[in-house]
Amino acid sequence: MTATNEVVRLGSARGGWLRQFGWRHLVGLLALAFSLFPILFVVSASLNPLGTLSSSTLIPPDTSLENFTKLFGTTSFSRWFLNTLLIGVLSAVLSMFVSAAAAFAFSRYRFKGRRIGLVSLLLVQMFPQFLAIVALYLIFAEITDLYPAIGLNTSWGLILLYLGGALGVNTWLMKGFFDTIPKDLDESAKVDGATHSQIFFGIILPLVVPILAVTGLLGFINTVNEFLIASVFLTDDSAKTAAVGLYGLISGERNANFGVFSAGAVILAIPTVVLFQFLQRYIVGGLTSGAVKG
Amino acid sequence: MAEVVLDKINKRYENGFHAVRDLDIAIADGEFLVLVGPSGCGKTTALRMVAGLEDITSGTMTIGGKVVNTLPPKDRDIAMVFQSYALYPHMSVADNIAYGLRIRRMDAAEISRRVERAAQMLELGNLLDRKPKQLSGGQRQRVAMGRAIVREPQVFLMDEPLSNLDAKLRVQMRAEIAQVQQDLNVTTIYVTHDQIEAMTMGDRVAVMKAGVLQQIGDPQHLYDHPDNIFVAGFIGSPPMNMALGRVEAGNGDLAVRLGAATLALPGAVTAARPALAGYAGRDVAVGVRSEDMEDARLARGGDDLPRLRTTVTMTEALGSEIVVHFVLDAPKVVTEDTKALEKDAHSSDVALHDRGTRFRASFGPRSRVRNGDEIEVVVDTERVHFFDPESGAAIRS
Repeated sequence: MTATNEVVRLGSARGGWLRQFGWRHLVGLLALAFSLFPILFVVSASLNPLGTLSSSTLIPPDTSLENFTKLFGTTSFSRWFLNTLLIGVLSAVLSMFVSAAAAFAFSRYRFKGRRIGLVSLLLVQMFPQFLAIVALYLIFAEITDLYPAIGLNTSWGLILLYLGGALGVNTWLMKGFFDTIPKDLDESAKVDGATHSQIFFGIILPLVVPILAVTGLLGFINTVNEFLIASVFLTDDSAKTAAVGLYGLISGERNANFGVFSAGAVILAIPTVVLFQFLQRYIVGGLTSGAVKG
Repeated sequence: MAEVVLDKINKRYENGFHAVRDLDIAIADGEFLVLVGPSGCGKTTALRMVAGLEDITSGTMTIGGKVVNTLPPKDRDIAMVFQSYALYPHMSVADNIAYGLRIRRMDAAEISRRVERAAQMLELGNLLDRKPKQLSGGQRQRVAMGRAIVREPQVFLMDEPLSNLDAKLRVQMRAEIAQVQQDLNVTTIYVTHDQIEAMTMGDRVAVMKAGVLQQIGDPQHLYDHPDNIFVAGFIGSPPMNMALGRVEAGNGDLAVRLGAATLALPGAVTAARPALAGYAGRDVAVGVRSEDMEDARLARGGDDLPRLRTTVTMTEALGSEIVVHFVLDAPKVVTEDTKALEKDAHSSDVALHDRGTRFRASFGPRSRVRNGDEIEVVVDTERVHFFDPESGAAIRS
């Protein structure tokens, strides 16, 4: 069969389009509906002035911003929101930095305990944090007595805790990325006269920006969404994160405050979405680069 | 400028691998020394020890009269060009070149003056704002050179800087690097596995094998007087032909029998190699360079010249010469050296079994030799090399 024949056959009217491309659109639409449905539902619930779970429908009968005014008027949501941002941003940035430093050491240096260090970081990750919660609570209860500034019911204590929690995964993720950067660059800089820290900050960090963006973003999202530990550690109303505070609204009577809860959830989603927009190009690069050379 | 002295330098890795053994080299101020050898011979390790990127297990390394064994790379006043160029991908060409100077907090005016001069020298002037990604292989190579030049170091170290370039560019950059080195007159250690680079660029060439220095000298000396079979086979292209021959003594003169032919040796040859008489009646490895053989029909000097009779198996016409392949009916030389050479060239004459040894001769372009021809080959016996078939060492005094 010649090439021209092939072209004619593909373009013919034998339902070619649906079989070639159409089904992909269908699958795409289905996936879109699947992921958009919960968002639409929450947005509609937040706009529904009736504000109860049972009255929520996909298309609200009436729309108003009543739930939002109630959220800011009757609860400490603005405080919770700021707490969440503070904890999220700080623990994301700090854990990004700490992990990058650890990954640099694991990737570049050969020292006693390197293998054991790497393996134990991985092993520790296998146990859910849930297991440690009692021990953590006891430790922090003690710390609260000694240094109340970083103890229970403070953002700083929680940040400290999150830093340790994220270290393992991030270090492994970053080490893999660091390993793809040729060692020649370090050695060249070394011969040029750079110190270890000049190599780290001046040569390596600029080259691993994609993976920094990925770990930073994942760290931020995890922290914003984290509920379990935060709910144990933060009991003061003013210290709560948004996740803990919002849960408090519906823990008593699920039905009644559902509209307010939804309004909070919608606002809470905004920072994550904005961050995604900014870091998108790095994230695509960060998750795929390393897979292909160059 | 400084001289570099390696005194009994050893490198033994933690897994027991002995990469460099008792390396003794003294490199004079302003000299261009090429370290050459097959991969894994320890040449790069030796270079990295000079750079300070690798610890020295034992021995003394001095640069400019100062012992540098434990000095970090930045305090050795050296600049290195890497095989991969190791350009910083996120910096422009100008920043790449200036990096080493900025790190040392040099005055900004002085930095830009040096960068400009290096750029001019290497014809990088219009590329200074580009990123390495936007450069061709040859341009990247130049940037790597520029980075070394602006430092104005005591010593240049180059680790196979041309191996990532295509053949044509390599020839061009070879000349450029040699020129730059000559202009700046900086002591240079250049590592390569390419013997042509070694021959053409080096003031002196050091041949290494399995961590051991085989011979060091100026390129022509290595070519004309190799100390052992390895150097003989490694330096020169095509490599030196080598076959087992028997030394025969008769009425005062020595002769060597190669297969069916007997080559009488001129008095000057035996006089220059007193030890050869001691091999009378025994086998020696006979080495003949391809250009020391000629088509008998083209050779002047009559019929009394020693000649080999053989059949042509292949010809390669290069224009200026014809490389003629034939099988000589003499046994192959097999030593540690020939094994190492075969491994390096990924070649082996196993297919020949015991039929003889493959030889290559360069004939003048007027030779009309073709495949399958029965030919006579004249051998310039004054330029034949003799090696001990066991130790591989050249037979001289």
